[in-house]
Formats: sequence, C-alpha cells, structure tokens
Amino acid sequence: MKPQRIRDPVHDLIEFSNSELERTLWQVLQTRPFQRLRRVKQLGFSDLVYPGASHSRFAHSVGVFHTARQLMDVVAARLNERQPSKEQRALAAALVHDLGHGPFSHAFEAVGKRLKLKLASHEAMSDLLIRDGEVADVLNQGLGSGFASDVADIIKKDGVKTVHHAVVSSQFDADRLDYMRRDRLMTGTQHAAIDFPWLIANLEIGAVEVGVDDRRVGTIETFVLGPKAIHAAEAFVLGLFQLYPTVYFHKTTRGAEKMFIELLVRVVELVRAGTVDATGLATNHPLLRFAETPEDIETALSLDDTVVWGALSQMAQAADPVVAEFSERLRDRKLYKCRDVRVEIAHALGPVGEDAEARDAKIDACCKGVERGLTDWLAGHAGGRPRVLIDAAARSPYKSGRESAGPLDRINIRTDSGELVDLKERSGVVAALRTFRVFRVYVDRDDHQAQKAIDAIVKGEIDKCQS
Amino acid sequence: MSVVTAERAARIVRDAGGQIIGRTRLQKTAYLLSVAGLEDGFSFVYKHYGPFSESLADGAQVASLFGLMRETEQRAAWGGLYSIYTSEGGAVSDLSQARVRLAKEAASADAVELELAATAVYLAEEGAADPWAETARRKPEKADGGRIERAKSLLRKLAAIPTPRPLPRIA
Repeated sequence: MKPQRIRDPVHDLIEFSNSELERTLWQVLQTRPFQRLRRVKQLGFSDLVYPGASHSRFAHSVGVFHTARQLMDVVAARLNERQPSKEQRALAAALVHDLGHGPFSHAFEAVGKRLKLKLASHEAMSDLLIRDGEVADVLNQGLGSGFASDVADIIKKDGVKTVHHAVVSSQFDADRLDYMRRDRLMTGTQHAAIDFPWLIANLEIGAVEVGVDDRRVGTIETFVLGPKAIHAAEAFVLGLFQLYPTVYFHKTTRGAEKMFIELLVRVVELVRAGTVDATGLATNHPLLRFAETPEDIETALSLDDTVVWGALSQMAQAADPVVAEFSERLRDRKLYKCRDVRVEIAHALGPVGEDAEARDAKIDACCKGVERGLTDWLAGHAGGRPRVLIDAAARSPYKSGRESAGPLDRINIRTDSGELVDLKERSGVVAALRTFRVFRVYVDRDDHQAQKAIDAIVKGEIDKCQS
Repeated sequence: MSVVTAERAARIVRDAGGQIIGRTRLQKTAYLLSVAGLEDGFSFVYKHYGPFSESLADGAQVASLFGLMRETEQRAAWGGLYSIYTSEGGAVSDLSQARVRLAKEAASADAVELELAATAVYLAEEGAADPWAETARRKPEKADGGRIERAKSLLRKLAAIPTPRPLPRIA
C-alpha cells in the first residue's frame, strides 16, 4: 500500500506511512464508526456564532494522531529508546479517543445523564466501539490479538501507566494540543495562540507524586516543562482560559445546547409514553429508534449531527408543541434570550476586594439561591414547556480528571536545580486565575411573566447577599 | 441541583460521625451505602478512580455553599489537596443504625483500600467473574503493597454489618 496523505488546515500534510501501525490505523479510518465522525462537528452549535467552526471530530481525531506522533518522538528522545509496543497502543488510542461522541457531543451526554441512557456517554460508547466490532477487528487483525482492549484501557486510564500514556492524557496531551489550535483557527478568533514548537521543544519527562485523599500511592511519569518554557506554558493556560468564555461557553452556543437538550429529552419522553406520533418523525427515524432501544450500539451509531439537523423540519411540524417550537427555534436560530445572572450578581456585589475567593463563594451561593428560586417558580408555572433554561457550569484553569487533585493535575515546571514546581509558583498571572464559572438563564423574549419572575428572584437574592 | 441533593450529601457526612476526610472517602462511602440499600439519592458510574457520582460531587459543593456542611482543603504530604467535610449535629438518618455503622466504618478506612473495595463491589455488581483480579488489573499501582488483601479485609468487615441489601460476598 502506498503511504496515504491528508491535507489538514492546522498541520498541513499528515501522512500515514506504510508501517504496520499506520497501515492499520489508515484502515481504522475507513470503518463505519470512524467515518461517522465526519458528521459530528467538533464544536457542536458553535457555528451559530462562528460560521467557520464547522470542523468535524474526524479532522480533529486525525490531528490528534498526528500530534501524538510528534509527542511520541519527544518521549523516545527523552527516554533515549523507542518502545514500539507501548508507542503503538498510545498512538492508536490518540486516533480513536473520540469515537463515541454522539450528535452535539456534550449536549447529547447531558440528555443521557437526565434520562440514564448509557450509550449517550461518549466514554461508554467509545469503550464498546473500540473493544468490539469493526474497529476492534481491524486493530486486532493488524496489530495482534488483544491490541484493541489495550487501546481501550489506555483511554479509560486503566492498567499500568507509562509516560506514553501522557501523550493521550495529561496537561499536554495530543487532544488538547490539537483542539486548542484547531478551534482557534476554525472559529477565526485571534486570541488563545500557543507557542506549540517551543512547548514541544521544552517538554521533558518527570515523575510526579500521586495519591488518594490524604494517602500517597506512588509516582507516575508524565510530561513536565523545562524552565525556559514558563512563558509558553503561561500563554497555553491563559489561551485555554480565554477560549472558555469566548468559544466553549459562549452564551449563544450554550443557549442552543440547552434548547437541544430539552428537545431531545422531550422526544425520548414522548416515545417512552407511547406517543411516538406526536414527535413528527417517521417511525423508523434513528432518533426514535435510539429512544426505543438506547442500549443498541447499531442504533447509537446511526446518530450524528446531520440526523438531528435533518429532523428539525419534520419535528417543527410535530403535534407536540414543545417539539415543534424548539425544533423551529433551533432550525431558524430563534433562541431564547440570555441573561447572565452571575455577571449581574458580581456587579451588584461591587469590585473584587482582597479576598477574591470569599467573594466568589458569596457569588456562588447567591447564584445557587437564584437557581433554587427559579426551580421553585418553574414548578408552579410550568406552562407545558421549559420556560426558563438554566446554565450553570465551572471549569478550572488546569485540566483535572480525578477526585484527588495533585501534581498530576497541574503544569509542572522543572527548575534549574531539578525540582518540580507548579507553574502557579512561577507565574503570577496563572496563580491569580480562579475557576471560570457561568450562571445564566435563558427565557423567551415574549415571556414577560417569566422575565418578571426572574427579575424578582435575582433582586431578592442579591438583596440577601448584600445584607 | 436541588437542595435535596445537597442535604443528602450533608446527611452522609453527619451519619459518618460528622466528618469525612477526602472526596474519595465521601464518594466511596456513599456508593457502598447505595449498594447496601441505605442511600438512594445518587447514581454512580465507573471512573478510573472507582465508582463516582457527579450529582454527589455537585451536592457536596452546594451543601457547602448553603452552610449545610463545611468543606476545607488541606495539603497532603504527597503534594495533593484533599477536602475535609464536616457537618455538625448528630446522625440524622431515620434508617436503622446500619447506615450509621456502615458510613462510619467506610469513612474511617484507608482511602486507597476503600477505593479498591468499592471498585471491586462495583465490578461485582456489573457481573465481573473475578472482581478483585479485575480491580488489580485496572489499578496496579494502587493494588500494590498488600493493599488488595487489606481491601478484602475491609470489605469483609463492612459486609458483616446487617444491611437491607447485603454487600456482595466477594471477600
């Protein structure tokens, strides 16, 4: 087989060589589960705000593989040896890590959580798709029996962890290093640039302590940065932090996601209630089949963004008023109006004083009070449709994937004397970053009663917080 | 996030004696209470750090914001941060003393061994043929140093407490 080539807007030329691994991974690209990723957009509804952001998880996944290959060269150079078996498994994991994402990714997962639909979780779906079926067959036939399960273990973070796993999961993993650059490029935003070549050039391997609660477990090797990369690391963290408000948590994108969640929940509830006809969809539509058999992997595989977009016009004619209205709104981008309650509360409480953390806690408590008030009000004023959509979310500056936060959950800088220190100790800007939080409510522009109720609840909570 | 969930989170802390050290201990204690039929407010999924409930994590945070319990952070000798949850007042559970006993025993266990025991229980509930072997395979660094044996011993002790639904007899 000839080497295969892909042109990519971020990385330019991405080649799959004739090696056993890359020949096999090229075959993985040809499978149905992987081809489905062409129809799942990386940023879901973000193109409602950034029209260029229509890039797919297919392109991102290939980009992650390419970046992982670059990172693996760093690992081999630092270790002074190649470890083909470990490298192959980690590179394959990088390629297939997003295989299980459903339509509109995280919004779809939120539907799954509400309705306890196991396969709406991209982790559960990815695990099944990698361990069993077409992708597993290609991996096991090309690279040996058990290879697919080893790959799935790496993604699940199970089994023995080596530094090769840091390529797939760490503060500087290939996923993040691709999506930050890709999302920036495709949205067209000009901030959040990172110095990728310098970060890579200064990437080192360090053993960091891990533990559970107050108990030490041992050490794990992961990526750390040399002292000359402090400013590049700072820009990396700040860049990500800028992408949260401007792209990932943009108020319009989140508003569309909330509406999509309510729409899909409603469709599944109608199916469960035996009123399929009210959805406006043909009985064999993939969304209905998923609602009927949510544990069936073939059905889950038939879902993607295009299936949803294609269904909106049909659902806009549904007998059920919620399905009809929300489908039409999503199709025509007639979204609920956003009210950024957290910003209002922060403004009302005055400027940040000396104790920023205490002030944040006060704002959080006030937001929760508003949420409680709104929930109570909605219980008595349901009106047949979700009248107020609530968006509450938080993201910390560092990537954290565990219960017990420790050195693995921060960016470690190796000092000239060989010690590892948290980037926060070397960067005042990063040290000053606090958890990014949103608390917004969305309401129909014409629903004056709901707007008045929100006014009263927000004012009442602010008064309480100020007293 | 409802206040009811926050109250449930705080109640676990109170039933455990008023203090739970660490998020892992809180999560795994709640999980074992759930399996034993002594808690039904949270659903758990498998994570590489064992059974985990997002709604419990959120509930604990809200409970702290509403003053239902207090969360303070301490730095461990290994460099990580861990939470200490405290909630004043005695045990408020209207269930049997079994809940209080199980919560206290679990919450006072070694955090790593508790995570291993809870993971083995989760895998047993999922139908794993040998949940301990699978736990050790998934968490080799935590299973080292005789911890699996000590986790089995812990689970034997917990399973000896009479509960509405017995913990799986796998130890």
